[in-house]
Amino acid sequence: MLQTDPKTAHFPVDPNRLDLVEEFRRAPKGPYSPDLQKIVHRMRWGGEGGRFVLIPVEPGKKWMLGLLPSRRGDAVKTFSDKTFTRLADAEWAVFKIRWEAITGVRIAEETDQKP
Amino acid sequence: MIDTTSILGYAKPWSVAPGETVSFHLSSAHLPSASLKVVRVRCADPDPNGPGLKLLHAATPLDDGDVQLSSQPTHVGSYASVADGPILSGLTAFSVGCYIYPTIVGGCRQTIVSRWNDRLDSGWKLELDDEGHLSMTVACKGMTRSARSSRSILRREWIFVAGSRSADGTIRLEAVSLSRDGGRERVFSVEDEGFPAVQWPAATPLLFAAQWTGDSRPNKETFNHFNGKIDRPRLYGAALTRADVQQLVETLHPVQTDPLLVGAWDFSLGMNGDEITDLSANNLNGSVHRLPMRAATGANWTGQIHSWTEDPSQYGAIHFHEDDLEDAGWAATTTLSIPDDWQSGFYALQMTTSNGSVPVESYAIFFVRPPRGRRTSDIAVIAPTATYLAYANNHSRLDQTHFEVMADGLMIITADDVYTNEHRELGSSTYDTHSDDSGVCYSTGARPILNARPRSNTFNYVNDTHLLDWLEEMGHGYDVVTDEDMHREGARLLSGYRVVINMTHPEYYSKEMLDALETYQNGGGRHMYLGGNGFYWRVAFHPTKTGIIELRRGLTGLRSWETEAGEGNLSFTGEPSGLWRSSGRAPQRLCGVGFSAQVFDFSTYYRRLPDSFDDRASFVFEGVGADEPIGNFGLRLGGAAGLEIDRAEPNLGSAPNIMILATADRTGAGGIPAPEELPALYRGFTGEENAMVRADMVLYPTSNGGAVFSTGSIAWCCSLSHAGYANNVSQITGNVLNRFLDDSPI
Ligand SMILES: [Fe+2]
Repeated sequence: MLQTDPKTAHFPVDPNRLDLVEEFRRAPKGPYSPDLQKIVHRMRWGGEGGRFVLIPVEPGKKWMLGLLPSRRGDAVKTFSDKTFTRLADAEWAVFKIRWEAITGVRIAEETDQKP
Repeated sequence: MIDTTSILGYAKPWSVAPGETVSFHLSSAHLPSASLKVVRVRCADPDPNGPGLKLLHAATPLDDGDVQLSSQPTHVGSYASVADGPILSGLTAFSVGCYIYPTIVGGCRQTIVSRWNDRLDSGWKLELDDEGHLSMTVACKGMTRSARSSRSILRREWIFVAGSRSADGTIRLEAVSLSRDGGRERVFSVEDEGFPAVQWPAATPLLFAAQWTGDSRPNKETFNHFNGKIDRPRLYGAALTRADVQQLVETLHPVQTDPLLVGAWDFSLGMNGDEITDLSANNLNGSVHRLPMRAATGANWTGQIHSWTEDPSQYGAIHFHEDDLEDAGWAATTTLSIPDDWQSGFYALQMTTSNGSVPVESYAIFFVRPPRGRRTSDIAVIAPTATYLAYANNHSRLDQTHFEVMADGLMIITADDVYTNEHRELGSSTYDTHSDDSGVCYSTGARPILNARPRSNTFNYVNDTHLLDWLEEMGHGYDVVTDEDMHREGARLLSGYRVVINMTHPEYYSKEMLDALETYQNGGGRHMYLGGNGFYWRVAFHPTKTGIIELRRGLTGLRSWETEAGEGNLSFTGEPSGLWRSSGRAPQRLCGVGFSAQVFDFSTYYRRLPDSFDDRASFVFEGVGADEPIGNFGLRLGGAAGLEIDRAEPNLGSAPNIMILATADRTGAGGIPAPEELPALYRGFTGEENAMVRADMVLYPTSNGGAVFSTGSIAWCCSLSHAGYANNVSQITGNVLNRFLDDSPI
């Protein structure tokens, strides 16, 4: 049987590499430096913190955050209070959740506030 | 937002000619009525960055007034049945036995063989219970007794199992695993005193892989479906010892004249149909329902052969699934006779109403072919209906975990995805696995298919309509021929067309379809393949029923699941399935290019190669500069070369006189080669570092003045409308089409 196992994504993430967090925040859609690319691969492959997806609210203009179920066929969770008008903002929101899930370290709010 | 799921429906059949009738089968869980309208589909993609939705109203009697809707249930789960009769209803002392290979163990009750009426809670059943234990149960007049194994059995291991009831009422369960190695041994012999007298329910069918509810359609008829294989079931009119019943199950040739032999079913007979055959003298033949997988290896499969055609007796098993579906079975809501003057094309029934303040808009697709035996255009467009079926209600982005990393970005799923995720009863695609993790090898059109209709997810159907839109924009008429038409009618369907065009992704091909195209080419036909990953998998349509394909994914290729050992041949025809490359007909032989890679993060563009300056090819590039990037724009990830791309390869059959006009080889780190492209695993094989990952644009002359032009990319057609259709993808496509329409030899 051919199966993919998301738990096999294991590139180590150093919680002190806030430079990579900052790089992602500045350009959530990439292109990424090699180190950041690997972290992003781990996040997108492993889905630690949640297999998040976007669901269009207005096609091409506005998206709502959704969460795929961990057991197949269970309902997709939707977060009607978490909507985005730029895909990059959605990527950054999910990155923060996953960074914390992997490293245990919350990305400080001020990082968020920086222009 | 538009609600696209509160009404659902499908058309039967998909392909109709003028004068013929199509029926529409609609359902809504809560809306009472809808307006119906037929539209000819020119562009099915509402994306504001492209041509936008272009649905042309085709007047029909359906325009007058609303239609009443009802909620029509869809029941899933395959099983086999044998009609009742005195010999079955009168069995009080008996043995039932078979080999099973369960693919789900525990978590749900699964019936192996039963004669049971659940309304009356009465009958007998041999089952695998929700803890994975085997049991033989007898129930009558409020009494229920079981003989149950002391342990769970193992998933994906063959085991002999039998139940019996003797004349004094004693119930026995016997089971012996076929493998004893590695701690797999399971041996059970359990007895329960039962009760002395039974009276079985009347008019109750004998079922394999399910239990009867006691109800009839449209209500649910069966439940507790079995997942896995059942091989050589036997029913005998006395309680036998374990050794005797195992011998009866084991033998391929039970003594037919034994008066106590009630039934001995050989599932290896009639593999391509629905009948199951009883070898006993009672002729208790029956049928399978909802397409369980036939041509499955039995407990006696030796591994010495790999095709059921070599020795069907090693393929006496049927693999049942609780989520199998053939035909949703909805009653027809309305029908339509296709007017004689309708032009051939992609059509859809549009269903509209409102759900509170939300507009509801849903579609059921069908195709109008030219009148039978006639052409109405010089151009034939092949509607890749085998591919639409293969992808129908694809759940893989929901169920598999690699799509986000493949696209290197968050997935965007739609309300249709959210709906199909929870409504598994609408059936799966051949990309999916069943709930037991085995691959889905059949797909059917008689059910709502949410990803092949206007406004749906963009792969395949929606992308293909970008080609229709461009043809109409350029003033070209065309006939539409579906894959199934071509499969059933062959080359004669294409003969006489000056140009035959394949759309964005003609991935699934039967032998008959491939033969038809090859014959067309050899007769001097002009063939344009404007897609990617074409002619890749070998499939067959059902020999007699319309709208059903079969695929076995084999052991190589970009396969979302893998055929189980020995099960690579189609039950419908006996042909080997898998890649066409594995059958000696790699796509390069037909159209110069064949599958190279997936590129789902961004698309790229082509650059011209020296062959493009050859005199014989100059017509292709009229109006295109020597250094112009070709297709560095488009609706699919920003370029004309992307998603799935194909390359030329002489070793796989690209024509000796092929001209490689242009190539798109800068696909980046997201350009990942197909597994069959790699002889070994090494660093540096992605498109960032390796030009083997590429799309090639090719042209070559064929016999009798024919020619082939291929672009080798799914994204190509989604660049045609860029900048008001004034772009070099449109220019090149137009140059080739116009030249190909010109009769003078190429
Ligand atoms: Fe494909």
